[in-house]
Amino acid sequence: MDLRQIWTLYRHELRCALRERSILVMSIVLPVVLYPTLLWATFAGMSFVGGQAERQTSRIAVEALPETHQALFDSLEAGGNVALSPLAGPADEAYGEIARGRLDALVRFEPEGEGNAGLENNFRAVIAFNAARDRSRGARGRVEAAVETYRQAWIDEERKALGVQDSVWADFGVARNDLSTPDEGTRFLLGLLVPFLTLIMVALAAFYPAIDATAGERERSTWETLMTVAAPRGNIATAKYLYVATLAAMGGILNLAALTLSLQWIVGPLGGAEELARGGIPLSAFPVIAAGTALVALFVAAGMLVFAIFARNFKEGQSMITPFYMLIILPVVFIQSPDVELTNRLALVPVVNVALLIRETIMGGISVVPGALTLVSMTAFVALSVTFAQWIMRREEVLLGAAEGGLGQFLGRQFRNRRRGGS
Amino acid sequence: MSDAPVRTEGLTKVFYDESRGEVRAVDGVDIACSAGEILGLLGANGAGKTTTLRMLSTVLRPTGGRAWVQGYEVREAPEQVRANLGFHSASTALYPKITPRETLRFFARVNRYPAEGVEARVEELIRRFRLEEYADTRVEKLSSGMKQKVSMARTVAHDPPVLIFDEPTVALDVLNAIELRAIIAGLRKEGKAILFSTHIMSEAEQLCDRIAIIHHGRILATGTLEELRTATGLHYLEDIFVRYARVRSPAEAERDNLGGDLPGGGHP
Repeated sequence: MDLRQIWTLYRHELRCALRERSILVMSIVLPVVLYPTLLWATFAGMSFVGGQAERQTSRIAVEALPETHQALFDSLEAGGNVALSPLAGPADEAYGEIARGRLDALVRFEPEGEGNAGLENNFRAVIAFNAARDRSRGARGRVEAAVETYRQAWIDEERKALGVQDSVWADFGVARNDLSTPDEGTRFLLGLLVPFLTLIMVALAAFYPAIDATAGERERSTWETLMTVAAPRGNIATAKYLYVATLAAMGGILNLAALTLSLQWIVGPLGGAEELARGGIPLSAFPVIAAGTALVALFVAAGMLVFAIFARNFKEGQSMITPFYMLIILPVVFIQSPDVELTNRLALVPVVNVALLIRETIMGGISVVPGALTLVSMTAFVALSVTFAQWIMRREEVLLGAAEGGLGQFLGRQFRNRRRGGS
Repeated sequence: MSDAPVRTEGLTKVFYDESRGEVRAVDGVDIACSAGEILGLLGANGAGKTTTLRMLSTVLRPTGGRAWVQGYEVREAPEQVRANLGFHSASTALYPKITPRETLRFFARVNRYPAEGVEARVEELIRRFRLEEYADTRVEKLSSGMKQKVSMARTVAHDPPVLIFDEPTVALDVLNAIELRAIIAGLRKEGKAILFSTHIMSEAEQLCDRIAIIHHGRILATGTLEELRTATGLHYLEDIFVRYARVRSPAEAERDNLGGDLPGGGHP
């Protein structure tokens, strides 16, 4: 194997690819700008919607507020964002208005049940609202908060009047003791997101280069010329493979870097999610994520080349690679449940094992045996897929584009020929 | 001719087609091309010209017979064979996103031209093929004539002793075709052994020192134009070609009083 020649071929592939707009966009630009754009748009949108909702006045109709609780009525109006009005007609009319969005809520104050009859002027506030409307939900929240505050103040006053001491009262309180660190919530969320998005980016970044390196050569009519250069077929295949794997790995790594930087530089200043903005991915996880991403990139590159080599043009290439792309992405979608853990058995399933390993690494709970098994099995899958890709790429009918159909038909023909005793 | 840079003996290629069974695309081809000579491979579409040239350039593996380029056998030493030849097909076969200078540098390097001489060689080719003006413009922005020149320069980037041209003028206009033929004639003067396939009779007449007529995968006759004229008694190459193409084997040619004088017909 002539490394210098492979380097020449590899550099040539990269040079051509980096001048191709579709490859540049899918393999470099998209992984870099996707997160900043998505996160900025999401949090800016959330802030905007939140601000809008905050400024909106809740239109609330009130029925039968006991006169002794006028203070509750006043406290609701005190904020300036609630417009209270007495119920003018039948309740059904008000429900219709709420459904149409002309009224946000109807609060009816009913006397409390028999058990509480001992308390004078006790009431139960029944809120009618429309959960499908933001503004109506906001009105419900405002009424609930005001009633709760009023209730607490009322109880305190009654308690003091009855001479119940604070210390006695505190015996029946509830105190929370959250044992998780502030970063754990973030890591849980990132543990679900990062493997999924990184693997999608790796596959997406390999997609166009794989087609470009094979069907692209045929479409440009450069394939035959390349087959007549003084390089062993193996060197050409290796250079093409390394080129696709490089862009795939680059897509994954850039994606991860963009995510980390976006969390700190975009989410933080927007104040959307403080925990996310703290970063969340522990530094110790990066080597494992990088190794996992590289292994998946090597595996995906070989797989995509095997499928794309049969295509005669870009369009055929896209349709031939898409099943493989789905094959990679779908299992990763199914393991999005946090209950799925990396076991010895799952460590033998390519791509899925790396996704789970990355997730566990981010969450800080890596299991040694399944982790090691993942790296070993993935390396074996890479070796197998590269060997298979090299075998396919040396076949004369494949090189000449004379092999009709895709990989399945080709393997079928090989099998039939072998049974016939031919080649 | 045994020490000729290009030589084949009984070169055969059989394809297997699921519907048609075995197809003998090339059937026992014997040709030889000396240094400083242009050997024309003249045949109709599907005659086996491209398959023969693809076997010589190691793109295809022969199923029978042998072929040598600069003494290297195509199946035994394919890399050495490719290092000694330049292959030029009907399409320009260039990478659109790189410049002519980058193209020449890449092909010189990948074809193992001595590393220390690559830059000088690239500059020499740029001057020789008059590419100076657009040497650093991306290929995709060049006209078809310019692309053709770059493609020719690319073919000889590593200065190979053997050149193969597979119907190079098929997609060119008259002026570009004339220029390309002039370049090929210039390469002959440099001592290159040139195999030139075409189905255009006038082109073969003008350019080739010897002509091998190939039909249904078999060489029916080989010789200079004069030798073919003498053998057939016909003047125009088109008539000569038709006469040979109408017969299917040397035996049949003999029946038609052609075989006795067949210069190298089937058995050069």
